Amino acid sequence: MIVCLAIIGPANNPLHISSLFSEEESLKFHYILHCALDVFEERIAVRGKGTASIEPNLGLLYPTEDYQVYGYSTATRVKFLAIVEEMDEKTKIDDVVRDVFKHLHLAYIDAVSNPFHQHGYAIAVPTFDTKIKSLLIDSRK
Amino acid sequence: MPPARIPTGPVTFSPVEKINAELFTLTYGSIVRQLLIDYEDNVESVNVQLEKMGYNIGVRLIDEFLAKSSCSRCNDFRETADVIAKVGLKMFLGVSASVTNWNAEGTECSLVMEDNPMVDFVELPEQYKNLSYCNMLCGVFRGALEMVNMKVESTCVRDMLRGHDAYEFRLRLLEVLQDEYPFKDDE
Repeated sequence: MIVCLAIIGPANNPLHISSLFSEEESLKFHYILHCALDVFEERIAVRGKGTASIEPNLGLLYPTEDYQVYGYSTATRVKFLAIVEEMDEKTKIDDVVRDVFKHLHLAYIDAVSNPFHQHGYAIAVPTFDTKIKSLLIDSRK
Repeated sequence: MPPARIPTGPVTFSPVEKINAELFTLTYGSIVRQLLIDYEDNVESVNVQLEKMGYNIGVRLIDEFLAKSSCSRCNDFRETADVIAKVGLKMFLGVSASVTNWNAEGTECSLVMEDNPMVDFVELPEQYKNLSYCNMLCGVFRGALEMVNMKVESTCVRDMLRGHDAYEFRLRLLEVLQDEYPFKDDE
């Protein structure tokens, strides 16, 4: 079950972070995301310049005690991160996360195509927030 | 007298050259954005500028419209509004509108569009809530109709970006101009 979704820009500036929890509990997600960024950079460096086709989904980045962090990097070096809580073992978390990242990418593209969006700044559009929230809620099923 | 032959929307739409809708939307969006920057967020001036730009476009667009669509002369304002909604908008924007809310004399009507490709992906932020994003379209109506001797005033009444359920433009016929000939009296 995905508890937090984050979009980080190319300069490691947060563009959007949302979770289904309150602000205080979300703070620890900020810490986890920050640590995950290091792993992200490592993975991208490891992938190197030799690959012909760049697979955006990076899969499981690293597990902590309660959560696992999945990553997805786009061609413009914008990073999507998902913090997943262990649910039961039957659900294929990988597939769920892959699906969610696809929808997140599409929602991100729509938000960025808005002429009033300023590049490099946080996405300040309420419909985007609701879209992400519904993605989070849908992933629970 | 046989009725004027008004071609259908899809008939005029298919042979016309098309561009990518997203390119069009993004270009229009960046025009609006740049105007807002140039006029330092003064929404009223931007609305006026958009309308002027639309007027200049409309003045040139009417010739292309009349050339590409084999439309015969409209007898009254009702036919004109129908032709704009069904043929003109379809030909240039790819969507057609419906004409409603005629007033008693037949000089005012509303063009209602459910869908507008100019505003895809757009979300108006709070500080621009008075911006008439589609004001260029109002100017196009005014410019095009002025070239066929009809002076109209067009305003944006309903706008989906501001929370309404459709796009509605009110067209008001002010006067029908007589053809003017540039002759001097003493020649």
